[in-house]
Amino acid sequence: MAAEIVAAAVTDIELMKASQVGMKAIGAGLAVGLTGLGTGVAEMAIGSAAVGATAENKDIFGLALLFTVIPETIVIFGLVVALLLLF
Amino acid sequence: MAEMRAGPAPYIYVCTRMRVRKSKLLPKEEYLRMLNMSLPEITRSIEELEYKREIDELSASFHGIDLIEIALSWNLAKEYQAIIAITPGTLKAFTQAYLRRWDIQNILTILRGKRQGLKPGKIKEILIPAGELDRVFLDRLLTEDSPDRIVEALRGKKLYTVVAKEFPSAVQTNSLSRMENELYKDFYRNLISDANAMKGGKQFLAYISLDIDITNIKNLFRLRVDGIEEDAREMMIPGGTFSVEELHRLNGITDLNEFIDALMAKVRVKSLLEVLDKLRGEKPIREIEIDLIRVQIEQMEKMSKMNPFSIHPILVYLEKKKYEVFNLRAIARGRESKLPTDRIKGYLVM
Repeated sequence: MAAEIVAAAVTDIELMKASQVGMKAIGAGLAVGLTGLGTGVAEMAIGSAAVGATAENKDIFGLALLFTVIPETIVIFGLVVALLLLF
Repeated sequence: MAEMRAGPAPYIYVCTRMRVRKSKLLPKEEYLRMLNMSLPEITRSIEELEYKREIDELSASFHGIDLIEIALSWNLAKEYQAIIAITPGTLKAFTQAYLRRWDIQNILTILRGKRQGLKPGKIKEILIPAGELDRVFLDRLLTEDSPDRIVEALRGKKLYTVVAKEFPSAVQTNSLSRMENELYKDFYRNLISDANAMKGGKQFLAYISLDIDITNIKNLFRLRVDGIEEDAREMMIPGGTFSVEELHRLNGITDLNEFIDALMAKVRVKSLLEVLDKLRGEKPIREIEIDLIRVQIEQMEKMSKMNPFSIHPILVYLEKKKYEVFNLRAIARGRESKLPTDRIKGYLVM
């Protein structure tokens, strides 16, 4: 009887550990995925303005590229959060 | 913001391009510098700007003032056509509708030129094919011998109905002015119906209303200066802040202060109110018109800042580019006629 109770408790703990790992993976996925979407939305507007400005004045290509990649920081924060969750 | 099927990106792209182009337009200092130049120096100066290709292309066939005028006209037409090509969705439809005013100007120029017996080549020099009627079509009209055939050649175009209706009476009265009025009224009527019919037309409608108001106020001042007792209803454009009846009533006010007070009672644009208030003293009509144009551009700039990804930034650029060409032409013509610098300066929209 006691052995059966111990075995059930061990199974519960294993299940909990497994679900914790799963939740972390989902959290990490959401952190990267959602920040990626946010970055995409932000870059859409900046990117179109940057392409428009570069089409008129090629000299500002470098600056325009720099402005376009600024929202990349959002996805990098997401990636950092994901890595902290996983490791 | 206008209709966005593909998201806002194409609108942001084109509005940014217009802003960059606007920043490349000539500053006031450049016009002032040109006022002291001779005609060849002005040509060289223009060649170093956005007009290089046209000057290079035309320098073999034209010289002096003709070269400058034609190069400026060609550049304006090319620029406008290029803008139509890059504007997306409803913005394209609005831009095309706005540019149809050049069709009216071109048709009237051709009809007037033909009636005065000018050579097709001479008429062609002053055409600006920036609207729906392209250079090939206008060339075809220029080859027609009689004005009646020109009117017939317009069949199928937007202008045809009004031109066909008004041209016989224009021939009888020997004046195209009534036809011109009717064409512009029809043009604004079409603009308003286009703006109402299309999604995102609210901003375009705001611009049309401003344009109609400024045009009507300019007409009222012109009528006062002419001092001719005319029925103002014929010349006024409906669709703005003032109804045609109100404008007719305003035209009947003889006292200048009373007239300006009556105008100011209905105007809501702050900068226009300020300018109207300054017009209480006697001023030449040319200066009044320039002041009103400045207010219009200033107000359009404000609208383009409030709606940064709408038709407004495009319209601001189109208007400013038009006045750049007008200014350069005025400087070149003025210098060629040896007019005093101050007099030329009075014609510039800066």
